[in-house]
Amino acid sequence: MPLNDDDFMRYSRHLLMGDIGEAGQEKLTQAKVLIVGLGGLGCPVALYLAAAGVGHIDLCDPDRVDKTNLQRQVLYRTEDCGELKVACAKDRLQALNSGITVNALAREVDVEILAGPPLTESYSAVIDCTDNVAARQLINTACYQQKTPLISAAAVGWEGQIVAFDFRHYRRLCFSCIIDYKSTEPMMNCANSGVVGPVLGVMGSLQSTAVMRMLLGFFEQHGELQRYDGKRGQWLTMQCAVDPRCPICGPTDS
Amino acid sequence: MLNLLFFGRLGDLASGIDKAIPYHIDLATPLAIRNKLAEQHPLLTKELSEPQVLVSVNKMIVKWDHPLFDGDEVAFLPPVTGG
Ligand SMILES: [Zn+2]
Repeated sequence: MPLNDDDFMRYSRHLLMGDIGEAGQEKLTQAKVLIVGLGGLGCPVALYLAAAGVGHIDLCDPDRVDKTNLQRQVLYRTEDCGELKVACAKDRLQALNSGITVNALAREVDVEILAGPPLTESYSAVIDCTDNVAARQLINTACYQQKTPLISAAAVGWEGQIVAFDFRHYRRLCFSCIIDYKSTEPMMNCANSGVVGPVLGVMGSLQSTAVMRMLLGFFEQHGELQRYDGKRGQWLTMQCAVDPRCPICGPTDS
Repeated sequence: MLNLLFFGRLGDLASGIDKAIPYHIDLATPLAIRNKLAEQHPLLTKELSEPQVLVSVNKMIVKWDHPLFDGDEVAFLPPVTGG
């Protein structure tokens, strides 16, 4: 779908860039992404991807806005309390950019959602903004099987983590290689230990950047894990290793 | 020597710990270091024993039984799963 006059104005700051340009903007326009979790990470991710003109954005979250969310979940307003997050988010995103499609999926993520919108091919990218390891493992498994790029982030307290996998091009090394498939939830989570809003903004912005690079075709950090400590302003970048016994990408794949 | 790094909130619990320790064959895995810390730093060791704590050696995420060599940098990373 070629860009129209309004698109040329709206996306002019992308079009000025040699490594995005008209061809890159069209890739973003044609992309279909799924954001799982519309909390502290999902809010900035959804805002940036909608603003960037990612053409089809599905939002998956069963939760309703709670007053305790407002300290960090920047899509929502005080009067949204009690409303479905995905419904509020969809309204805000369409107000920001009516030229894109946004769908609200108000339920827990499952394999059916992860398979992609009905009657189309699978997602161009899935963005894991969930708050628990069980969902992260489910998402990783589906993305690996469908060869869908996965951009996964997490945060708690002052700390954030991001790791992404380009399963289109790499068939070894996945989330389950790093976090054991059978591992249980740690004691500390956002609900019982708190989290700093801007740390989620940092990690969500990094996720959005990684998504854009995936969609534009120059992502080269498969399985690289980055940690941010907002309390000390420190970063750590590490490479993950293939687990030869990984139940997802290990034994059956060559 | 081994250079230890306790990332993020683990750093709050490890303030009194020597971050450069002599390399010794009895301390040649991240697990052995954790067990050694248990003697004097039970609170830190408890955090290090949580599920999903990650260990990296020379900027590579490894398993707890990864063999260490003189000069390695060993980083311990607390679990981060919220969102
Ligand atoms: Zn794997």
